[in-house]
Amino acid sequence: MEKILAKKSFPQWVKKLDSWRVYIPRKDEEGRWNYFEADGGEVSLDVLQTTLPPKKILFPQREVFLEFAKTLAGNRETLEIKEVLPEVKPTVIIGARPCEARAAWMLDEVFGGEFKDVYYWKRRDQTTLVGFACTTPPSENCFCTSVEGSPHSEEGLDLLLTDLGDRYYVQSMTAKGEKLISAAKALFEEPKPEAKKQVKAAHAESEKKIRRQLKDARPIAQKLKGMFDSPLWDEESMSCLRCGICTYLCPSCHCFDIGDEVESPSPLKGQRVRTWDTCQFPDFTMHSSGHNPRPDKASRLRQRLLHKFQYFIQVYDKFMCVGCGRCITLCPVGIDIIKVLDKVRDHGA
Amino acid sequence: MELNVYTPQLAKIVQTKDEVVGARAIKTFRTEFANGARFDYRCGQCAMLSVFGKGEAMISISSSPLIKDYLQFSILRTGRVTAALHDMEVGDLIGVRGPYGNGFPMDAWQGKNLVFIGGGIGLAPLWSVVQTALLRKSEFGALSLIYGARTSKDIVFKDELADLKGQMPVHLSIDVAEPDWKEFVGFVPTNVLEKKPSPANTIAITCGPPIMIKFVIKNLKDLKFEDEQIYTTVENKMKCGIGKCGRCNIGFHYVCKDGPVYSWADLKKLPQEY
Repeated sequence: MEKILAKKSFPQWVKKLDSWRVYIPRKDEEGRWNYFEADGGEVSLDVLQTTLPPKKILFPQREVFLEFAKTLAGNRETLEIKEVLPEVKPTVIIGARPCEARAAWMLDEVFGGEFKDVYYWKRRDQTTLVGFACTTPPSENCFCTSVEGSPHSEEGLDLLLTDLGDRYYVQSMTAKGEKLISAAKALFEEPKPEAKKQVKAAHAESEKKIRRQLKDARPIAQKLKGMFDSPLWDEESMSCLRCGICTYLCPSCHCFDIGDEVESPSPLKGQRVRTWDTCQFPDFTMHSSGHNPRPDKASRLRQRLLHKFQYFIQVYDKFMCVGCGRCITLCPVGIDIIKVLDKVRDHGA
Repeated sequence: MELNVYTPQLAKIVQTKDEVVGARAIKTFRTEFANGARFDYRCGQCAMLSVFGKGEAMISISSSPLIKDYLQFSILRTGRVTAALHDMEVGDLIGVRGPYGNGFPMDAWQGKNLVFIGGGIGLAPLWSVVQTALLRKSEFGALSLIYGARTSKDIVFKDELADLKGQMPVHLSIDVAEPDWKEFVGFVPTNVLEKKPSPANTIAITCGPPIMIKFVIKNLKDLKFEDEQIYTTVENKMKCGIGKCGRCNIGFHYVCKDGPVYSWADLKKLPQEY
């Protein structure tokens, strides 16, 4: 389904989505862009890339799995555990970038399969992703077109909006997307044939604006198979501070920890929680014996790159990188995934 | 209701036994599900055990899947969760979820001789196979066990091993000599060379510390075992048990899901990341 929405009608449309929980990008108190609930407030879309991707709406940084408590009746102690599942309202994420929706399309693989992750899917099934094609200049490190995405890719999105000056061209890819249009039918018009041409041109133009490029990503994936023991990892990880920012701000990184938080030791009361974790921390893989299969920065950088550019492709035939460039822009020491992979490609050439 | 893979079933500890006391303490636990939960598993599979308030740890199941009354775990006191487990008593409740992993391909081993080679706590995952092979004895050829520990004190399943001697050859070893020790003195891999199991129609299954496994495999190769005739298990730190949390991988393999059992033919293709 394809429609036209006048820009001046956009706030009205968002207001009409009152039976959904609406998330939009907004500046936090420290001036960083992040996703927040709209709460009927202004919707501003003049941000290309939020610092934190909307991943946290589908996969929160901390979530409770279960509650446990011991109770004492007479001198009999009983232990009770209570499974906690998220209470999810129908949710809309407005303002997601096509790359961020592609990340959800990658996470679907991780949290699906033989062992379905109910926490992720309860949210995912109820969430509609409304994306905006990136027609404004991209960020300095955007490279989506190098990893099989584009500034207007549709994977993972329910609706894609493209800016045509005073109007949005609205493409609906799913029934979920159509539902959002139906919520305010009167605001949407049928597109004229020239609008389709304009959108095509805008999309083609947006691709040309991407400044950074990783050439031959698929062949690199093949080549990485033979580079596990390369000295490259040592050289490239030398400056790493192991802060983990490259993974915490990544839209597709999903490593997590499960641990118990104790509110009261006696009588015991607490919660089992899942929290984001990172392969960049030394204790991530450390055995209780002290042995560590990934004991140094080199092996951990290698893990991050191989997971994204080799293992994931081998298992799911997708990159686990959307090319948003956050890990490059925000790395405090300037480790640049494109430059490292360039070296892999050119290695031995 | 939808199955939640992260929710453990409550299980009661019905029996505990000190295998080894002191510095490298090992304790064996038997558990029964509090609500009669079904738990079908294969030899070599693991379960994620919970001590509520401490966390979870992945432990191999050492009882035979043919015994339905209880699950047995033999656990080395080594980290936060295993230390808490050691402090628990009969009647205490733990959480169990699983089973996880691939398990040993025992059906593919029908008609073959099985030689078990274990070191230290590594006998625990093997024990499930040993017990099952005994219960299905007619399906297999000759069975034998080569097992060692640092000292005689560190040997697990002491009583069971004495009984086992009536049912299959059992070759024990300790690393350094002790006054009353009558069996082999030296490392397990050396005892393998000494006892020379024949590779003819045989599968060797080895489990123990990584350094022991490495040299057991080397020595089995010297005895002309093919890579496909050698099986071992791999251990890595785990949290989810279902191939999602991202820590136990060896290359593109998640040990919790795609392992922990590997033939040497398969394992040698993977990077050294364990």
